[in-house]
Amino acid sequence: MLRYAVQRLLLAIPVTLGVLLIGFILLNLVPSDPATVRAGPSASAEVIAQIRTEMGLDRPLWDQFLRYVGNVLIGDLGTSLVNNMPVAEELSRAFGATLELVVLCLLWALPTAILLGMFAASRRGTLWDRLIMGGSVAGVSLPVFLIGMTLLWVFGYKLQVLPFTGRGGPLWTVNGLRHAILPSICLGLIFIGPVARMTRTSMLETLKADHVRTARAKGLSERVVIFRHGLRNALIPVTTLVGLQIGYLLGGAIVTETIFSWPGVGRLAVGAIVANDIPVAQGAIIALSLGFIAMNLMVDLLYAALDPRVQAK
Amino acid sequence: MTAHSSAPADVKPGRYLLAALGRDPVSCISLAMLTTLFLCAALAPWLAPYNPLSINMSRVLQGPSLDHFFGTDGQGRDIFSRSMFGLRLTIMLGFTAIFVGGTIGTLFGLLAAFYPKTDTLLMRLMDIILSFPAILFGLAVAAIIGSGTTAVIIALSVSTTPLVARIARGAALMVLAQDYVSSGRAIGLHDWTLLRRYVLPNCVSTIVVFLTLRLGQAILLGASLSFLGLGTQPPTPELGTMAAQGIGFFFFAPHVTLIPSVTIFLLVLSMNILGDSLRDILDPRLRS
Repeated sequence: MLRYAVQRLLLAIPVTLGVLLIGFILLNLVPSDPATVRAGPSASAEVIAQIRTEMGLDRPLWDQFLRYVGNVLIGDLGTSLVNNMPVAEELSRAFGATLELVVLCLLWALPTAILLGMFAASRRGTLWDRLIMGGSVAGVSLPVFLIGMTLLWVFGYKLQVLPFTGRGGPLWTVNGLRHAILPSICLGLIFIGPVARMTRTSMLETLKADHVRTARAKGLSERVVIFRHGLRNALIPVTTLVGLQIGYLLGGAIVTETIFSWPGVGRLAVGAIVANDIPVAQGAIIALSLGFIAMNLMVDLLYAALDPRVQAK
Repeated sequence: MTAHSSAPADVKPGRYLLAALGRDPVSCISLAMLTTLFLCAALAPWLAPYNPLSINMSRVLQGPSLDHFFGTDGQGRDIFSRSMFGLRLTIMLGFTAIFVGGTIGTLFGLLAAFYPKTDTLLMRLMDIILSFPAILFGLAVAAIIGSGTTAVIIALSVSTTPLVARIARGAALMVLAQDYVSSGRAIGLHDWTLLRRYVLPNCVSTIVVFLTLRLGQAILLGASLSFLGLGTQPPTPELGTMAAQGIGFFFFAPHVTLIPSVTIFLLVLSMNILGDSLRDILDPRLRS
């Protein structure tokens, strides 16, 4: 297990460098000149040239890239063109908020999805099965913003039971949790559909297996058969799917953060792109990519823990 | 030929498909809904009662009425007409991306399968692209070339390419193992002829089924990018952009946001249901 983990970790290094390279290229492909944006609309050519030298924009590209990687490694991502704040500082604050949202969402949505999938599989062909699977197709067809705006309308505006803008503090405070409820429900709802569907398919496959028949034949109760002999094996493909869904979840998170004014990385990235604040946009896109890589890494390790055959390969 | 074949060779494939779809009521409803939506989109310039761009400040934020079936938006424009034109653009965005990504992806997949020397290089490249979620391409492309319809099309095409390449490569490898391909090689057919006449036609159904399933996702993603303000820019009617424009008055005129959002939902839902049925009918190998 340890060897596998180290192997996977080493594999993540070139991908990370690739992300940094793409981030760097991004900075250099942008048609607007950062020095001009920083200097403001009324600056003279001399001032712009001076800022250009200060920012190191007159050096060769490879030199700029090495400096850039060095800077990122020590946590220096430059400063915002809009408010002059260090990008790293803004990002670390926003990253915490996004992580909070994603963790809270997974905490309720993942068990719900797996239970729904198992329930549908155990009641195969009944009305329940059809309802759950129909809901799952509807779930993957819903635009995130329709879910978000509907929740906002019902619980935030009509019933006025939950706050719907911004973050109310850390999750362990009552106010913090209350603020996080609607965004995490919104994000979770897009995630449940595909996971429940996969769990059902995988569970039906597993229940046909020889070892399940044996377990039934020796007289184990249906609950023990499903939970102990079925579920663990059925969860292996589900883990893969969860890994594949993380990108989808990320997209959902960006929209959710925008709707509920949740101060996360996604909202930061969108705001920066619209405002042409390239250092912040670049930092946020890199942070989202690295977060994505880290989550995939965790899924891979979980996968290995669930399925000993993976480690043997 | 023996009598047990279930799909006789003299039945046209289109008719066989329709007959198979007709047996399932849910698929029928989806097909009807999708056809209606496509007709609305295609005939928008002729059917739309109002100019989608004409502003009328004396009729701002009206609810649905006989004059304006879906009401009016924040600038008094007719939402029904705008939805028709928006649907047109949304569908076009999805199709363009699927077509571009599908073509490049199929080409890459077939090459990788046919020429093992290019396999590692091409597929590793695809893996790298695949390791970034589509939404991040959207953000990155919008940051580089600026927000707009082009940014959305590029992002959706790039993120579709590696998925199609994988599917096409898998399908092509299965076809290449068949006897008729070896026979074709043995009689000295040119590589290109072999690919075009034997390999591609036998992979097409798998690829098309995948693309129909992907189309719904691409449309949702494109609408999300537009909703975030990174895609199609106002006043051009696009469903995601229209939904975003209604947010300012959501509490007293929710229909401005809800109508375009629900239209997207119905479009994607009918596509997903039909995609699933198509997969079951056309490509039993993918059936779970």
